[in-house]
Amino acid sequence: MTHEDYVAPDGASISPLIFSDPALYELEKRRIFGRAWLLLGHLSQLPRPGSFLRTFMGEESVLVTRDRNGKIHAHLNACRHRGFQVCQEDRGTTTRFQCRYHGWTYDSDGSLVMVPGEDQLYYSEIDKCRWGLVAVARVETYKGLIFGNFDADAPSLQDFLGDMAWYLDIILDRREGGTELLGPQRWRIAANWKVVAENHCGDEYHIGFAHGSALPPDLLSSNRAAPLQFAREIRPGLGHGLGANIFPDHMSPRDWLNQGPPSPPCVLDYMVRVYDEMAERLGQQRAHISLIHGAVWPNFGMVPIFNTLRVIQPRGVNEVELWSYCVVDRDAPPEVKAWVSAHSTRAFGPAGSFEQDDAGNWTAVTRSSHGVESRKHRLNLQMGVGHEERSDRMPGEFGLTASEINQRGFYLRWMRDMFEGACS
Amino acid sequence: MNSEGMMRLLQVQQWLYREARLLDSRRYDLWLEMLDDQVRYRVPSRAYIRQAHVKDFATWSVERELECDDALALIDDDLAALQLRVARLQTGMAWAETPPSMTRRLVSNVMLLDSDADGSLSVVSTLFLAKNRSEGRALFTAERRDRLVIRGDDFRLRERFVVLDDVVLSSENLSQIF
Repeated sequence: MTHEDYVAPDGASISPLIFSDPALYELEKRRIFGRAWLLLGHLSQLPRPGSFLRTFMGEESVLVTRDRNGKIHAHLNACRHRGFQVCQEDRGTTTRFQCRYHGWTYDSDGSLVMVPGEDQLYYSEIDKCRWGLVAVARVETYKGLIFGNFDADAPSLQDFLGDMAWYLDIILDRREGGTELLGPQRWRIAANWKVVAENHCGDEYHIGFAHGSALPPDLLSSNRAAPLQFAREIRPGLGHGLGANIFPDHMSPRDWLNQGPPSPPCVLDYMVRVYDEMAERLGQQRAHISLIHGAVWPNFGMVPIFNTLRVIQPRGVNEVELWSYCVVDRDAPPEVKAWVSAHSTRAFGPAGSFEQDDAGNWTAVTRSSHGVESRKHRLNLQMGVGHEERSDRMPGEFGLTASEINQRGFYLRWMRDMFEGACS
Repeated sequence: MNSEGMMRLLQVQQWLYREARLLDSRRYDLWLEMLDDQVRYRVPSRAYIRQAHVKDFATWSVERELECDDALALIDDDLAALQLRVARLQTGMAWAETPPSMTRRLVSNVMLLDSDADGSLSVVSTLFLAKNRSEGRALFTAERRDRLVIRGDDFRLRERFVVLDDVVLSSENLSQIF
């Protein structure tokens, strides 16, 4: 098999080998996680000078800080002396990161400020300016979200997001005050990261079956293969994908809010108020779109219908850590935030009525990709091939309620990043 | 502890053992009957956080590692949510529990902390929960902080707060009751 066979030219079939080959995973670390914009967190997690959090870019431990002057930084969480992680905590506030191995100490802007024995043992010959923490080459924000990129030559974050940004605004920019993140919940799943990411990116087909236990019975009885009446799959391009309810112009927010799971009056009233603000900020068309699921290439997944954003952190070829956050409007009343986060937890996250059943699917797909016989045979992603549509009102290409348009976009992007014009 | 207190402790222990046995034998219907109408069942998520005052053990707290109120818990359920959790299992499509996982709960270190003016009891216990499914075994240890209300000779669970000793859960889901 040559690399051309991993993903068919039209994306309509793939080899299971891409989920299990350790050599491909090593290449992904460089060509995907070494070059893509990766989600680090949200400005709300770093509220004041000295705030920090610890996260990952691919498998690299990364320290994200707000320095004394309020500037956001991201550095490799590794002391320049022996590589020890200078930060061993998930979050907090400090302006001093002291390595506990030999005591080299860094400021929250990454500069090396103290070396024990600098005068005596190093004869005052160490140039501290050269030995600060290694900065992540690029750090940019989009509407509160902080992204990092190891590639100094990468396109801007805005160009990387492309038309996905138009849809992301529906979550991130619908209110003046923007959003904040709660969490994360973190758990390990024995699955290849792409199996998890493609599900977030494009899979509405599984909802009626895999999540049959969590759906209201009336939805199940109508059409299990396409349970969401107004939903479309949308491919904004560049490997990103999403599914969204696109409500007809004649419907008002109360019409569709009443079709969803029952929510208390304070939440319903809030959502109607948000609709008005959103229509003013983003226009009537976007106010009529409600995002269901999606993913920003490569590993930033989301289930906005239950207010969850997550990073699918790869941990080797066979494992991920899911870091799942709840996104809420910053200026929402406390009772709305409390309901939204509890409601989110009941559906998604490790104990959620939906998500409990997802992990088993992802581990099973990963497991079968290891079989020498199983992985000789290709997997089918042809749903909706050749039936992609355009709209004159919204960017991207469209598929039906369930379509594999986005999985194809995801794996074609994977092929491009892995094998086209790649030199490292 | 006087003999009345001893008797109360024994009753509480037996109640907790009965609950564990019902859950291990999958009698979720009977388990629901052990809950108070006002029940609140929470499992916070946990993080590695530095202690604020390292020299003073009296201030070393587990609390600051827990994310629950004004944050994102792992589980935050009321009675309706717990009933839905159980009803889901009866749809035949709750794949994480189809076929059911095999669980064993060991409950120990039971302490009766106090009884409130309203007659409710504050009870802590240690839970060791082993869960076995085809993909492997998951082990959990936790402190459970319960509030029980007295109903005649019996109790109902009014509040449960579960402090798990995990930051990144090593189980692919939390399909079981703690």
